[in-house]
Amino acid sequence: MGILSTLLSTPVFGILVLALTPHHKINQIRSLANLFTSIALFLSCWLLVIYNQNDGAMQFNEQFILNPKLGTTFALGVDGLSLPMVFLATLLTSVALLASFNISTHVKSFHISILLLEFGMLGVFLAQDWSLFYIFWELTLSPLFLLIARWGGVRRHIASLNFVLYTMGGSIFMLISLFAISQYMPEHSGTLMSSMSVAVQSMPSGEQFWVFLGFIIGFGVKMPIFPLHGWLPLAHVEAPSPISILLSGILLKMGAYGLIRVVVMMPETAQVFQGPLVFLALLGMIYGGLLAWRQSDLKAMVAYSSVSHMGVILLDIATMNKTGIMGAILQMTAHGLVAGAMFMLVGLLYERTHTRNILDYSSLVQVMPRFALFMTITLFAAMGLPGTVGFIAELHAIVGGFQQWGNLMILLGLSILIGSAYAMRTIGMLFTGPVKSQMREIEDLRIFEILASSVLVMGIVVFGLWPAPLIDLSLSTMNLMNDIISQRLQ
Amino acid sequence: MDFLAVFIPLFPLLAALFIGIGHLFDRMSGDAGERIISNIAVLAISFSCFIALILLGADLLGMNSGSFSIGQWLGSDTFKIEVTFITTGYNTVLSALFSVLLLIVIRFSVNYMHRETGFRRFFFNLSLFASAMLLLVSSGNIVTTFIGWEIAGLCSYLLISYAYDRPIATINATRVFVTNRIGDAGFILGIGLSYFYAGTINWDALNALAGELTIPTATVIALCFATAAFAKSAQLPFTPWLARAMEGPTPSSAVFYGAVMIHAGMFLIIMLQPIFERAPLAMDALVIVGFATAVYSFTVGLTQTDVKSSYCFAISGQLGLMFLECGLGYWELAAYHLCAHAIIRCYQVLTAPSLMHNVVGNPIKTVSRDIINLRWLYIASIQRFWLDPIADRTLVRPIQGLGQDLSHFDIYVIDRLMGTPASPSRAISSLAQLEQKILSTSQSDFNINQFGHGSGIAGKFFEWTAKILGWFEERLVLQGIGMDIIDIGNKLGHAANTFERLLLKPRYLVLFVFIVLLIAATR
Repeated sequence: MGILSTLLSTPVFGILVLALTPHHKINQIRSLANLFTSIALFLSCWLLVIYNQNDGAMQFNEQFILNPKLGTTFALGVDGLSLPMVFLATLLTSVALLASFNISTHVKSFHISILLLEFGMLGVFLAQDWSLFYIFWELTLSPLFLLIARWGGVRRHIASLNFVLYTMGGSIFMLISLFAISQYMPEHSGTLMSSMSVAVQSMPSGEQFWVFLGFIIGFGVKMPIFPLHGWLPLAHVEAPSPISILLSGILLKMGAYGLIRVVVMMPETAQVFQGPLVFLALLGMIYGGLLAWRQSDLKAMVAYSSVSHMGVILLDIATMNKTGIMGAILQMTAHGLVAGAMFMLVGLLYERTHTRNILDYSSLVQVMPRFALFMTITLFAAMGLPGTVGFIAELHAIVGGFQQWGNLMILLGLSILIGSAYAMRTIGMLFTGPVKSQMREIEDLRIFEILASSVLVMGIVVFGLWPAPLIDLSLSTMNLMNDIISQRLQ
Repeated sequence: MDFLAVFIPLFPLLAALFIGIGHLFDRMSGDAGERIISNIAVLAISFSCFIALILLGADLLGMNSGSFSIGQWLGSDTFKIEVTFITTGYNTVLSALFSVLLLIVIRFSVNYMHRETGFRRFFFNLSLFASAMLLLVSSGNIVTTFIGWEIAGLCSYLLISYAYDRPIATINATRVFVTNRIGDAGFILGIGLSYFYAGTINWDALNALAGELTIPTATVIALCFATAAFAKSAQLPFTPWLARAMEGPTPSSAVFYGAVMIHAGMFLIIMLQPIFERAPLAMDALVIVGFATAVYSFTVGLTQTDVKSSYCFAISGQLGLMFLECGLGYWELAAYHLCAHAIIRCYQVLTAPSLMHNVVGNPIKTVSRDIINLRWLYIASIQRFWLDPIADRTLVRPIQGLGQDLSHFDIYVIDRLMGTPASPSRAISSLAQLEQKILSTSQSDFNINQFGHGSGIAGKFFEWTAKILGWFEERLVLQGIGMDIIDIGNKLGHAANTFERLLLKPRYLVLFVFIVLLIAATR
């Protein structure tokens, strides 16, 4: 059994063990779940160590045929694009479990759902076969539906329903696109990503147009791209905070990840869509930023800022040049860390005060200095301040975008400006101002919470000051993808 | 032996770093701390002094090759700055002389500053200054010379404002610093022009190229550096800063304005001798300014009634003479004059506080009969030729006025257009404001209506756009797609249910069977 399937099966073993544990032994359940996510985290660390950075192609390939009649295979592999995401998935799952100590109802099913979700997320990033990819993609839906609908806020039912309907609606289009490509595959040849990207070249360009549109809708709902983001504010606000961490940290990245794979698969068609995509990206950035600025609900603000930041990723992808796609990977990692940290901190604050309205807060720095430190660094990273990982990512976006469209990047600058407007205002309103009597007795972060948030914040700062390891990890894969794109476009 | 030059500025820098870090973490306080600090500072400058003397000896024995490079500091295309040191000639003489004087002054300060409040600060500054000054005289290219030049200026600023709780001291320090910045502008321009015209910023290379420069080019470069030198060496019209600079503690006055830093301007002129000789106009400027300063300082010096002021005009007068000598072409003389003046003046200023004891009983010599009756000269002298008020009137006040006008423009036009950066009602800086805030918040609920509001035209535009988008999001994206689709789905489901129920009722079932039979019959 290779390392990838070991990694992938760790949450499954966790689910099996948890299923056999009696539901009233809450502490045992918690520690077991944490144990298995830690094992997964350790395995992905080990994967980082043994991964060969100089080889941009798929590594640690594993493959065996599932269905000989159709040719579908269980194929796993990892490259410079998926490896950061795999690591981020295991890291954020551990962090989310550390942040979920206050979940007190149905503890067992909560942890099983989270492990199932981890299984699905890892599967999406590791799968090298489109049908396997699709299975894992859909697999993430059911645990999320349960997690939001059972442990969410007041409007949790409508939020979870909305989320599932949106995503299912999107993935139907993805499925249709995949079927359309498989028409051009030889008989019984399966759905391997590599062979499908060969098959798609024999497709007439008129059909490719519709196929690519289907992919954009499918992945765009998840990402989300501007008009398809309706599920996100509701789901993020209503989800319990550990789930918000995973939702914004990893699940949104699945859309971007899929879109990059598709762009590399069919660059000629992607070039046709370049204009509309950059339009949607810039519009989404400004739209999300302005709406985040309007929210007085802290979680809604973070949710809309996610829309804005995912717009940056879409812009990066739409540049289709080396700097841009590098920026997309960096922004995916950066946003994973930043949004994860932000949702966690906001969630921890909510547990203490039971209000998400920013106007209720004031002068928290006096009672929660540690929280103030972490939150401020995270918000700085969200606005792309130099010295944080957000800056590195936005810099790539600006450089890559400028190579492609020149002065249009003023709009990106505008969205960064809007981003700093709400980030600075949030810092000001949370931490300064008059002391309110109801805000005097709040407990600062506890030891596990400090552990969880400092991992993320350290990542934000360390990669902000020293981004070279992060860039080197994906560089050779980027070169490979860029070569493919530029060869095909000639 | 060339490599030794590196260590001359290095030791005082290390001492300064050590003292500075100790000060930052509030270590080394009390008498024990004083001893450590003074030992470190004295030891560091002693090492430098020792090495400088060895280097000088090696140079006199002809063992030095002329320059020593430790590598490139900055490179951009053809613009490269190497950190090099000159290890022969006048530079080694000066670095030996200055390090000896610095050693004397630092040793003198150990007792003089004993148990003063800013002991650590003082020795930090003095060590940093020693490092900067030794870098200035030994560096092989203009940029590193400028680095030393600027750090020396900064230390001078910090030491004039040594007693920063006295407003006079801080005002004087600022004035001196700003006056010196005029010279720095000339220096930077000079660096730029040298690179532009001669393509080099190494002293040796620049001087070697002097013959190839056209006369106007050489004149412009020389005048730029001359401005820097005039400002640093307190020549007209910059002379008044020197009197203000005497605010600092006596040892610092001695080392900055008596012995070492005041000569930096003169040193710069001597370094650029070939360029100046290529530029007759610049030589004339040296003559005129030097002579005018000498006369001015002599006249003003006659009416000074305190020791430090008398010295300061004597200093600027002597430096004026040096500039005059350079301008007339007596470069060697000026160089010797510089060294001699540094030694004498260092001794004089250090002993200034005890001068009154030493001269008690000696009658003051009256001025010569020829000028004793010139009343206008007396008034002019006592007013120091109104140089400060003239500078105020012509430079400071117009600039202040401009600043005020711009500030008004900012408040009444720009802020109204663009909006103020943050709502001032939430910005709180002091405890008193905080109290006031608490009182006012209990009275009125000011927050609720202010959320998501911008000010100014840009802010309003921002706000309205956000409002429109908010409506769009609320009505279409969340309500329209999110909720209404579910509603429509529900309605469709109900309709289907109703249809199903109707279909299962017997009469419709029978009707259905009939229709099927009918269709079958028609076939």
